[in-house]
Amino acid sequence: MHKLVFAVFDRLPLQFRVLYRQFLLRIVDLEALSIQADIPRFLGQFAGVLIMFSLIYTLLAWAYLGYAEAGLVSFRFHMEHHLIATMMLVVGLFSVLTWDAAFPDKRDVLVLAPLPVRARTILLAKIAASGVILALAVAMLNITAGFFWPFVLWVRSGGAPGLLRWFGAYWFTMAAASAFVYGAVLALQGLMALVLPRRMFLRLSALLQIAAFCVFLGGYFLQPTLRLPEQLAAPGNQPVLAYSPTYWFFALFQQLTGTMQPGMGWVARRAWVGLALAVAGSLASLLLCYTRTMRKTVEEPDLVPASRRPVWRPRLGGSLHSAVLYFSVRAVARSRHHRLAFAVYLAIAFAIGLAFARDTLSMPAPRAVNLDFVVSTMLISGMIIVGLRKVFALPISLSANWVLRITQLRPSEGYIAASRRTLLVLGALPAWLVAAALSLFFRPWTPAAEHLAILALLCLLFTDLSLVGFAKVPFTCSYLPGKSNFQFVFWAFVMIVLPGAALGGIQELKALPHPLQMAAIAGVILAMDTGVWWFNRRRARSALIHFEEQEYEEVMSLGISLLQPSMRRVEQ
Amino acid sequence: MLELRRVSKHYSSIPAVDDVSFSALPGEVTGYLGPNGSGKSTTMKMITGLIEMTAGHIFFDGKLIGDDLIGYKRRMGYVPEEPYLYNHLSGAEYLSMAADLRDLPAREASERIDGLLRLLSLYDDRHASISGYSKGMRQKVLIAAALLHNPDLVLLDEPFSGLDVGSALVLRSLIQELAGRGKVVLFSSHELDTVERVSHRVVILHKGKVVADDSIASLRSMMELPTLESIFSQLAVEQDTGSVAGQIADLIHA
Repeated sequence: MHKLVFAVFDRLPLQFRVLYRQFLLRIVDLEALSIQADIPRFLGQFAGVLIMFSLIYTLLAWAYLGYAEAGLVSFRFHMEHHLIATMMLVVGLFSVLTWDAAFPDKRDVLVLAPLPVRARTILLAKIAASGVILALAVAMLNITAGFFWPFVLWVRSGGAPGLLRWFGAYWFTMAAASAFVYGAVLALQGLMALVLPRRMFLRLSALLQIAAFCVFLGGYFLQPTLRLPEQLAAPGNQPVLAYSPTYWFFALFQQLTGTMQPGMGWVARRAWVGLALAVAGSLASLLLCYTRTMRKTVEEPDLVPASRRPVWRPRLGGSLHSAVLYFSVRAVARSRHHRLAFAVYLAIAFAIGLAFARDTLSMPAPRAVNLDFVVSTMLISGMIIVGLRKVFALPISLSANWVLRITQLRPSEGYIAASRRTLLVLGALPAWLVAAALSLFFRPWTPAAEHLAILALLCLLFTDLSLVGFAKVPFTCSYLPGKSNFQFVFWAFVMIVLPGAALGGIQELKALPHPLQMAAIAGVILAMDTGVWWFNRRRARSALIHFEEQEYEEVMSLGISLLQPSMRRVEQ
Repeated sequence: MLELRRVSKHYSSIPAVDDVSFSALPGEVTGYLGPNGSGKSTTMKMITGLIEMTAGHIFFDGKLIGDDLIGYKRRMGYVPEEPYLYNHLSGAEYLSMAADLRDLPAREASERIDGLLRLLSLYDDRHASISGYSKGMRQKVLIAAALLHNPDLVLLDEPFSGLDVGSALVLRSLIQELAGRGKVVLFSSHELDTVERVSHRVVILHKGKVVADDSIASLRSMMELPTLESIFSQLAVEQDTGSVAGQIADLIHA
């Protein structure tokens, strides 16, 4: 099979093949790569996460086969909608992560414009690269579930002749829903690029990217679930059907399988119209962008007009602490890659918060502090702190790190303390403030305040735990893709962190009415944090600040020697 | 005084810098010359402490630099060969960060940053992102960052790279002015005319080894050659430049 693919690929024009390979590789940011980065493993881990979700859904399908007859229709409806909504969420997040990969950027234009390469070749290579990655993501997410679920749904809907029709309907719906989401994002971006001045487009595009992230996650977690035919037909739910694309494609799936509920034809029509508009809109906007905005990209001025406003920059600790803190704030605020990487963790925290909000805030006031609030605030805080710590490891510009080495006038301890303060100010403090804002919904306020005190100590503990072995300045040390194991982290989160948080939440909830027990819990957490802080501080005294995960030499072999693998890296 | 004694740097078995010894005196400008790949930047990086020596010793004011590296770094300013800067910062933010890292008092740092930005014609663009700066503007930011703390040792690796004529003339005078105020100035450049005008003495490196270390006047009279360019060509250029140019033209014409 792969020989056939390569044979076909080799027949394509050389320019297209070269550009396609380049654009495909750019899915991984080159600046974030270190020497000896394991890119295939890195990409493989992403694929692994999607396959893992596919396997989980497959297990659910088997469980569904064993269900008794009662409630089957509602469960079938729920799962049909859920599978489609999840697919659309994954593609939505994918489109956010590869935000402007399909559009011409300044680097492409400056490098390729002097070469005899047509704009359409660049466009086709970009579409092909994005399409291949998107298709792989869809295939990975459905690698097993895409075969079991159509079969199970077919069995549970009566097993009428036409199993192949169910398979076809399933895969077509998934592909159409993916194309709709990705196409809609491209069309919207393209429209903005065409209508707005280039500089304003770049600014708005960054905002739109974060907004899209929130919309996809918010839509997924907050939209109502309609499980029964009566709910679908209820007049009060018609606006949900009219404006939620996940229900459009749910109706489309039922239309294709021949199981559509009466009165749902107009919803399915919306899917067809939406799909047509998204595909046509994205193609048209891409085409126009490549013909009309490429020149605009080159002609844009290099210098943005300077702001004349005075800059307020309060000192937060010593000069080193201020330098590291402001450097970090600017890295997260201005670097798209860092903002996005952090947004992934924020999204998980956001999802936890939304799940909590949907259940708890729907309760009538006054609301007492409950397990949902306690556990979700713990998880949100942990996720934000750990996420920021992970993003600290992504370098902003490895080649510019020389200035930190030249100006390393203090012991390593000072740099590590500055990193801790940065994590506290940028991670722990906002996380705690989010929890404090959520606590306003609860009465009486005393238990909520007690929980906030415990949470503050937990934030300190999470911060110090996440800095164990961290002898770096944030955003300066190279990241080794493939080094961390997503599968391990995911299962550790599911098997240890979630039950641990639930257990801790239950204990805290039991202790809330008893001041002594609360004091004991606070004492234990404080003692643990002091221990970790002391351990970190002791190690920091003898630590050396790292600016590269692995030191490299200026003279390196190309790593092409098969006979002497040990010679791949020249030793000093 | 900056003194290098038998300094070497080997990458695997390849010598990048081989047994280099020379001195740079306070109040003098020492030009450090050599063709591409001769080991100039490697030497500069060893002097800054960015890379380790394989062998040898570097002294500043009679003390081994490794004995008090932090104290030494406080007194050193460095302009690297490549204008690598943090692009997410503005020029003013970068200089402010450099001042903070060097622990300069806030008011003093602010005054110096403003002054340097004005004098280097960067003031109007001080809040613009460095990613939009031209190569010359980046070079000016590097020069400002290197001088911000009034260093005693100034190391300039290709400092004229990308500068416009006016700025290059300012820098040329600045180098002489700094030396005139008793600082040790070591600078490498491919602009032999500038080196000849500015330097009191030159060190010429070829294939990692010092092939000349003397004042320009002495070298001229000793080698009986009229210019630094002719001295450099004789000592460090192996190719017949005219012949190579002809061969290149023939190659692309074929």
